[in-house]
Amino acid sequence: MNWTWFHKLGSPKWFYELTSKWLPWLIGAMVIFLAVGVVWALLYIPPDYQQSYTTRILVIHVAVAGTSLAFFPLMAVAGTITLVWRMKLADMVAKNAAPLGAWFSFITLATGSLWGSVMWGTWWEWSDARLVSMLFQFFLLVGVVALRSALEDNDTAARACALLSIVGCINVVIIKYSVEWWNVLHQPSSPLSMSGESANGPEFWVPTVVMIVAVYLFFAVSLILATRNEILQRERKAAWVQELVSKA
Amino acid sequence: MSQAASPSTGHAFLATLKRDLVIAYKRKNDMLNPFMFFLIVATLFPIGITPDPERLGEISAGVLWISALLASLLAMDNLYRSDYEDGSLEQLLLCPYPLYYLVLAKNLAHWLVSGLPVVLVSPLIAYMLNLPQEAYLTLFLTLLMGTPVLSLLGSIGVALTVGLGSRGLILAVITLPMSVPVLIAGTLAVQQTLNGAPLLAYLAIMGAMLLTALTLAPLASAAALRISVN
Amino acid sequence: MIEAIQFASFSEFLDMGGYGFNVWSVYGLFTVFVAANLISPVMKRKRIVRDLKRRAVVNEQQSN
Repeated sequence: MNWTWFHKLGSPKWFYELTSKWLPWLIGAMVIFLAVGVVWALLYIPPDYQQSYTTRILVIHVAVAGTSLAFFPLMAVAGTITLVWRMKLADMVAKNAAPLGAWFSFITLATGSLWGSVMWGTWWEWSDARLVSMLFQFFLLVGVVALRSALEDNDTAARACALLSIVGCINVVIIKYSVEWWNVLHQPSSPLSMSGESANGPEFWVPTVVMIVAVYLFFAVSLILATRNEILQRERKAAWVQELVSKA
Repeated sequence: MSQAASPSTGHAFLATLKRDLVIAYKRKNDMLNPFMFFLIVATLFPIGITPDPERLGEISAGVLWISALLASLLAMDNLYRSDYEDGSLEQLLLCPYPLYYLVLAKNLAHWLVSGLPVVLVSPLIAYMLNLPQEAYLTLFLTLLMGTPVLSLLGSIGVALTVGLGSRGLILAVITLPMSVPVLIAGTLAVQQTLNGAPLLAYLAIMGAMLLTALTLAPLASAAALRISVN
Repeated sequence: MIEAIQFASFSEFLDMGGYGFNVWSVYGLFTVFVAANLISPVMKRKRIVRDLKRRAVVNEQQSN
């Protein structure tokens, strides 16, 4: 098997040049999907017979929540690459993924609260496993960010955070299942069993899919922008960076 | 030392265990502090919440578990720090035995001096907090199986932060969320035995957690130590 | 699938069937979230480029 693509991937310069080509397209697609998604959701979704206009919240919430679940697997894979192959690029991605993931988790919780406050009549509900495990995912991501900022040496920080991300990824799964189990035993007859399920016709899920694509594109664009900054900072002594800066 | 006379991994495990126990015995305060911390935190709850025996009985299992969790967190600081400062941790990493067993020995020694006393005194605190009698055995057994898991998980966090000057808070931020499954299993076991559920099922779950932690956590700790100590 | 616009007037649009506060809070929050996570890397990039340029100038002066 030909592995040159894999080693190329490890080269920050290659990544920088590739993303320079891709970014305009990604940003264009992101703007289109975001605009279509938001306008469609706000103006055209018919009111749900149970949830009225609050399904507009779910469009955002579902998209952000889905994307926020991608962070720990992404960081664990990047961490494995950092630990096994010492690839600098993987760590640059992982470093910026952690705070972005904390943002995503926070927005998931906040939008979920705003939806729950009308549909459940409460801002916070311990008996919903998704809320509680998302909260702990948020804590774990904040832990990774804290560890990164506490360790001064770049290489140590990279490998320590890589290990913590792998441990955290396994932990998020265990926490998710244990919280679900905890809930089942604490709430034999949950009054909250009604969740977003009533809103599931195509007039609802098509804009939701558009929004999911939009949020994924936003995630990619934001992470790529941050990673490119990281490359410029860490490779500032490289000839190609100095040339690039002098032209800018 | 000649190649032929080099002792087996089992010997290295026992030697590390013995060394850590001797050091702990010589520093009795380090042993006593987590224990006292556990006692004091557990007694703060009745004062902070309510002296009413009935309501105390409801929360007592949670109070004991959270106190044990905090005591274990507080004690974690001693696990690798002094060895890191005097350089013996580096020697440990350099020696030819699988680091997994040495880390396991250190964790075991640490649990014996800081975790086990907490477990042993827990029935007394449970009595003071008016835990219903049917739950004593469950509480004791789940603490006995659960506190080693807390130590093993905490060890990863300590190993990652051993090089830092002040790390009390960051250690808490990293390790506390990881302890949630143990906390859930422990307190649920107590509540469910009070509802008449069979104890064995919960012990099985606790045992599964302990075995998983025993096999995986020392590997992660060992890797973390190698990262922290260059 | 695509229905007609659901609102007869602008005030109805703002009201969102009585859930205006929650719906608009979510969209406001989402806008801030997206904008912040796009603008901050762009600003940071400007800062980095400026910083690197200054260093290049200093280095050149030193070597001359």
